[in-house]
Formats: sequence, C-alpha cells, structure tokens
Amino acid sequence: MYLFTNAIKNLGRNKGRNMLIAVITLAIIISTVVTLTINNAAARVVDDIRLDLGSRVSVRQDFIEMRQMGLDGRRDAQHIPLTDFVAFSESEFLRHTTFSADVLAWSDSLFAIDDPNLGEGTRVLDDGSVMNEETLRLVTISDPELLPDFGTLREIVDGRMFDGINEAVISEALAAHNDISVGDTIEIIGAYATDRMFSLTVVGIYSDATDEYLNPWITMFGLFPALNRRNEIIASFDTLLASSWETNAGLDIDFHYFLSNPDYLEAFEVEVRAMGLPFTYNVDINRAAFERVTGPLAGISSAAFTFMVVVLVLGAITLGLMSYMAVRERKYEVGVLRAMGLERGRVAIGIISEAVMIAAVCLVIGLGVGSAVAQPIANGMLSGRVAEAEAVENPGANRALFAGGQMQIGDGTAGYVPVSEIQLNLGVDIILQIIIITLGLAALTSIIGVVIITQYEPLIILRERT
Amino acid sequence: MSVLALKDVSYKYEGTTRVIFKDVNLTFEPGKVYTIVGKSGSGKSTLLSLLSGLDTATSGKVEIGGESLASINRNHYRRKKAGIIFQSLNLLPNATAIDNIVLSMNISGVTGIDKKARALELLEKVGISQEKANRKIVKLSGGEQQRIGIARALAHNPELIIADEPTGSLDKDTEVKVLKIFRSLAQEEGKCVIIVTHSKKVTTIADEIWGLEKGSFRQLDPSEVQAGREIIAKKGRKLV
Repeated sequence: MYLFTNAIKNLGRNKGRNMLIAVITLAIIISTVVTLTINNAAARVVDDIRLDLGSRVSVRQDFIEMRQMGLDGRRDAQHIPLTDFVAFSESEFLRHTTFSADVLAWSDSLFAIDDPNLGEGTRVLDDGSVMNEETLRLVTISDPELLPDFGTLREIVDGRMFDGINEAVISEALAAHNDISVGDTIEIIGAYATDRMFSLTVVGIYSDATDEYLNPWITMFGLFPALNRRNEIIASFDTLLASSWETNAGLDIDFHYFLSNPDYLEAFEVEVRAMGLPFTYNVDINRAAFERVTGPLAGISSAAFTFMVVVLVLGAITLGLMSYMAVRERKYEVGVLRAMGLERGRVAIGIISEAVMIAAVCLVIGLGVGSAVAQPIANGMLSGRVAEAEAVENPGANRALFAGGQMQIGDGTAGYVPVSEIQLNLGVDIILQIIIITLGLAALTSIIGVVIITQYEPLIILRERT
Repeated sequence: MSVLALKDVSYKYEGTTRVIFKDVNLTFEPGKVYTIVGKSGSGKSTLLSLLSGLDTATSGKVEIGGESLASINRNHYRRKKAGIIFQSLNLLPNATAIDNIVLSMNISGVTGIDKKARALELLEKVGISQEKANRKIVKLSGGEQQRIGIARALAHNPELIIADEPTGSLDKDTEVKVLKIFRSLAQEEGKCVIIVTHSKKVTTIADEIWGLEKGSFRQLDPSEVQAGREIIAKKGRKLV
C-alpha cells in the first residue's frame, strides 16, 4: 500500500516531469479517442452500406465489355428469358431479391407529356424494322414498397396502389393530360416489341413532386417524353411476367439479388454462369455507387488512421526519450530506496504505479475531451470530403448507352449521394482499445526506466551520485 | 555473542590489484559503540558498505547473528536489522523530512505505531523542529539533513546502527546530542553502534576504537588516539 501512497506523493514531488509526460499522454489519448471513434463509426456505416448496397447484385448487360469485345450492344445482344432471372433468385447465397423492369412504350390512345407527335412518331431501325417512338415508360416492380419517392415526393391522391396483375397507377399530370380517372383502362405497346400490348386498369393516381427529368441535361437535346417521370405508368413485375414478355429484350431491367453475405458475390456469379448467364452480362454490385456513397467516409477513416499512427509513433518516441532522460534523476532515488532494503520488484511497482496513475488521469480526461471534440472534428472532416467528392466531375454520371432497345443512362451513381453525416458513439470496444493503448503508453514510460535503473546495484548508483 | 563479525575478510576493487583489506577478523557485540578511524581513502567507507550489505567481500565472510550475509537476503537485512547513516546522506531530496522517515519505516515493515508521530519524535530528538520536519530535504541545511539521516536510520529500531561520519556537518551542541543518543542506544537498548569517523569527540563515546591502516585493523587505546591527534595538531598533518 505504501508503494502506491509513495507513488502518489512522487507525482507531486516531480511535478515538472510528470506534467510534461501527462500533457503528451493526454494529447495521444485525445487524438486516439477521436480517430478511433471516427474510424469505428465510419467502419460501422460502411459495413451497413456494404450489407445493403454492397450486397445488392445486379445482373445487367455489360455494354462496355461488349464494346471491348467488338460486339454491338444492340445487334449482338443476348437476351435472357425472364424466367431465368427469376430462377437465379433461388440461389442459396441470396437472402432477398427485387425485380424492377422498365418498358419503353407508346400508345395510340394515350398522349404523353412533352410528346410533340402525339404518339404518332415512328423510327426505322438499322435492320429495316419500324419502331414506334417511345413516349411512355411502363415501370414494373416486384414490391410497391420499394418504389422510390412514394411516401416522400409521390403520394396516392386517388384510388390505391396497384396490387394485382394488370393494375397500374399513373401521375396526376398524365391522368389530367388524357382525362383518365381511377377505373379506366389504358393500353400501351412496347416500343421495341410492338406485339406486346398491355391493357392496364388504372387503380390509383398519385401526386408527383419529383423533377420531371432525372438527368436535366437530356432536355438540352430536345424533349424525350419517355424519360419524363410524369409519363411513368407503374405496375407490378408480375404484370410484365404475365404479358408473355419472354426475355429482357426491350427492357431496362433492374434486378437486384441481395447476397446473404457480401463475400458470396463470386460464388453467386459462378452459380448463375453455370445456369447459362452469358459473359456479355455483368454480375456485380454497383461499385460506382458504393464508392460514391462511402468515398468520403473511407477518406476520413484513412486520414484519421494515418493521423493516429503518426501521433502514436511520435508520442511513443517522445515518451520513450523522456523516460530515458528521467533515468538519471530516478536512478538516485532508486539507489536510496534500494539502500534502505527495498527490493527491485517493489521499486519497479512504485515506478510503474506512477506511470499508471498519470495514464489513468489522462485516460479519464482524454475520454471526456476526446468524445466531446470527436463529433465536430468528424463533421468538419466529412463535410470537406463530401464537398471535395461533389466538386469532382464524374464523367460516367452522364454517360448514355443505347442497346437492345434500351438506354442506360449514367454509371449507376445517379440518385446516390455521399454519406454526409456520421453519428459517433464512444462504445465499450473503443474504450477498451483506448485503455489498452493507455496501458501501453504507461508501460513505455515506466519500463524503460525500470529496466535501466533496476539492473544497477544500489552502491553503484549512490557512488555515482557521490 | 557477536551481532556482526568479519571472518578473514579481504577486499579489493574489481579490476584492480589494490587490496583494501586483507584477512580482517573483527567482532561486533551488542550494547557497544565501535568507532573506526583511519586515513582518508584507507577503506573505512568500504568497510561500512560490507557491513551494511551493500557490497560483498572478495574473500572471507561477513556474518550477521552467526549467518553469512552472502547467504541471507541482504535487502531484508538492511530493512530489518541495520540502520545505515550514509556519509552522503542519501535522502530523497524532493520529499519532506517526515516522508523520508515514514517511507523508511514502511519499507522496513514497521506496523502498529503512529509512524508520523514516531518520525516527529525522532526528529525532535536530533533537534529538528516540527516546522522543519515538513520541509523538503532540499530546503534544509547540510547539518539538518545529516540529523534527518540519523533519525531515519533509527526509525525502524534496528539492532545494528552503521554510521559513516554521522556528525561531520553538525555543530558542537548537536554533535554532543547525537553522540548521547548513540551512547544511550548501546548502553540502554543494547544496540550495536559502529561509527566510521574522523572526529575526536566521537571516539570518546566508543567502547572500542579500531584503526585501519594499510589494509589491517588494529585496536587502539583511547589515549593513543588522543596522542595521535596531538601530533597532528602540532605537525599540522593528518595521520589519523
């Protein structure tokens, strides 16, 4: 007990040296608390995103790969039966699947907003076939709960959401443009496959506060009514399957296969390839979106980690040097104690106790101060990274690829925004890590001294002093 | 029955050929004051280092209560049995006088008493006031520090007191006071007090006076010491 009492008194007796050690230790602990908290929170958010976006696999025609293979995106497109896509969802590597497919369509009885030709336009394709100008977009989805914007910018104002096959909801604007009411039937034809006709009962009309065009730049080249969101006719994916639409030809598909573990991606791809999926199809997560969303987090996490390593290394070196320099001063003290009969081990306990006490006080203050300043620091770092990410022009974001009667706009990052907020929590795991680091620092400040000092015999120390 | 004995003890510094003592045989008994005199550099302090277990003999053995010091725990010996007064004091400079003494008692495992009160009592005995007892060692004079060193050596009530020039920095009155303490420790409490000194006054309280010269000890008669000192005084050179 007296060793600890003496250690406490020693802290006061050697104020100058101990204050210096405490300041350095405190600086190390505060920066470690801040960086570990940021890292931990960033890792948690990235993990969450990885479980969602990072495990959401899309199976899409790979236009870029096809170009590199010298294939034409439309002429050489290999179409896959929709039943195959559904069969992929039976994989044991999946926990969930969502299907969404858009059909560019036209109608001779329904006028699209922004349509200058009032549904009468036709286009002759390279192979001589005639294609009606697409003016409408039939959006089909396996679960209406997944429809973007419903509940925020879109809301059913009349009727209800679709439920069964051949039921649809349309925008107020489209309904008003064509004088359609709930209960009316509309007929639309696939623009690419003109023999596919959909006869849909309007069961709901929704208000729509979204931007008319998801990519406003497209209006610079004229009006594309099929891309105007007011012209969307939304129905269930089963409606598409029931329409005897056999393959994905003419469809803009968005089939998401959610892996039960993000690491199963390769295994899932092997499985679907074995089921006949050609290599002109890409089986992958939306990496561009993932990187866009998590990029700033990865940035601050990496910066914080680098900073922590630098602080720890420099701090450890400084503490080590201070400990070494304090050896001479402590050597005499140890000589006196040893001359009084105190064993080496007890001398070591005394010195280590002092270091642990300094570290413990610094730990308490450091945890408090560190957790208080971590959030503003993280916010500052993150906003800087987000601004940086948004300032960088993404050449792929506005890329448009046309093939097989479908058009793919952008690189998949549209609609995804970088994470701009992060909630920091000082969890038990971080506290444990900080305690370990603090004990390491305490060990560093004491063990150098202990090892050097206790190897001397007391007489030698006292003679040197004399 | 001796409390401490040197048996055929020889000593030379490591790596040198210079012999400090050769085949020394000395016996120290309880209840007696021993003074050891000799020229500077004759090896008096080295002898005290051997007696206090801080150093070991090149050959021969130092026995404490019949047991060789080499075979027992020397830390335990210093903690429990010996009270050492160093010539260079060896106090903790940033600690107070009381703390130095209480720490010594703690290290020695003293229990069952009010250590602070005991420290104050000892300090008062050697002429240190309560106010000075609470000062840091660095804020006290050399003489005061020496008295604190003495009080510390007595704090755990050792059976053996080993002192190296314990009165070197003391004024005459305090020196007398301290010598009375040493004398009473031997006479009344049966302690064995071994003092290395140059002081004539110190030899006056000794039961036995030993002279160390050229590596050998010789017991001196008190009058012999007195005569030696008179010669020194006359010739102005230091013999003893």
